[in-house]
Amino acid sequence: MMRAMNAPAPPDESVVRDALATVVDPEAGMNIIDLGLVYRVESGPAGVVVDMTMTTPACPVADMLVDEARSAVAQVAPPGTPIDVRLVWDPIWNPSMMSGVAKDHFGWV
Amino acid sequence: MSGAPAPVVAVRWRVALLALGALALVTGVLAGLARLGVGVPDAAAGKAALHGPLMIGGFFGVVISLERAVALGRRWAYAAPLLAGLSTLATFVGSAHGPWLLVAASAVLFAATADVVRRQPALFTFTLLCGVACWLAGNLAWALGGVPHASTWWWLAFLVLTITGERLELSRFLPPSPAARRAFAAILAAFAVALALEANGTEAGVRVLGASLVALATWLGRQDVARRTVRGEGLTRYVAACLLSGYAWLGFAGAMLALGETAPGGAQRDAALHALALGFVFAMVFGHAPIIVPAVLRSPVPYRPLFYVPLALLHASLAVRVTADLAGAVPLARAGGLANALVLALFVVTMATSVLRARRG
Repeated sequence: MMRAMNAPAPPDESVVRDALATVVDPEAGMNIIDLGLVYRVESGPAGVVVDMTMTTPACPVADMLVDEARSAVAQVAPPGTPIDVRLVWDPIWNPSMMSGVAKDHFGWV
Repeated sequence: MSGAPAPVVAVRWRVALLALGALALVTGVLAGLARLGVGVPDAAAGKAALHGPLMIGGFFGVVISLERAVALGRRWAYAAPLLAGLSTLATFVGSAHGPWLLVAASAVLFAATADVVRRQPALFTFTLLCGVACWLAGNLAWALGGVPHASTWWWLAFLVLTITGERLELSRFLPPSPAARRAFAAILAAFAVALALEANGTEAGVRVLGASLVALATWLGRQDVARRTVRGEGLTRYVAACLLSGYAWLGFAGAMLALGETAPGGAQRDAALHALALGFVFAMVFGHAPIIVPAVLRSPVPYRPLFYVPLALLHASLAVRVTADLAGAVPLARAGGLANALVLALFVVTMATSVLRARRG
């Protein structure tokens, strides 16, 4: 109980999102936040939970991007914080989930 | 809890599967050189007739099905690269079961790709499935007929449709218009008709195939997100350069098939096939490797501007070979073919040294 009270505060969700924005999908040349691949970020006393997806289940870089996302979160979380980055397929990603920045990048009009 | 979960098949087994693919690549390239009249070791010279199956089944079959197994994360899907790799070993022990092992490999990859379609029914996943169906058809034709050259177009269709499906997937970053999607479906249909005509022995089949490849190159050149990403920097720009330069060879190969004299054994056929297989397919490999190698082997391949050197030499050496083929200059075509092989070796060395540099930190 004392240990929990003394535990460092979990990172802000916006800080976690900023960290995830450093993870770049190499094919798209765009980060996973702007691509709309991150569905959920929760940060609390129990740790950080991230739900993310890929543009397709046929994407072989999935495990690598999940690893990179986990490392990016670990950079901003106090040491020992439980970090759970989950690969989810519901809902299936679609292009409308991209941010305005990404849509501009790819030439949407 | 913050550690990464273990992959369903350990990286060392993936390396072993890739080693089988590499064996097929080396043997297949040497077998191809033997066909051009270059002196190569007997073990490879004796496989001159197997250049196509070694390159497409033994190498690309392993690489593509391994990539899909990693994506799916299902252990059974790894049977596809294993069976394709065993087909290469079968040729070394003089077994006649090589073609049937490829049939089995392609059947497993078909099931794995059908699982992808089930998870995400879409035009691009369907295109991937069509590609695998072509591989399966070509392997069956070889196993039943006994001669590999009858399967050439089916096998190349496997590569073309696999690459196209993956590019179509990425084109969703800038979604094609309904008209562009209809155009793509029409090209796919023309491609299927061409393959059916060719399999039926109709001479027009190869010409229709060529025309559909020209249309496909045009479509990809207009729709591919590489047109945007080529304005980026680093790895993203390099990948786009590989893709766009590959589309030029795809269009050239298509035009040659549509208009040229492409009877088996002819120099024009050699030019068209290798414009497609080296200029288009291997340019994609050059671009894709720095992305896929880290995903499959969990070893980073940091981008270096040096990556452009093998790419430029690939196109230059292919231009020499194709020009020599068309001019009937046999010694120069042989030198071009040898240069093609050396460029592939240079590419492998470039990737390997990049991996080692990254590991040393």
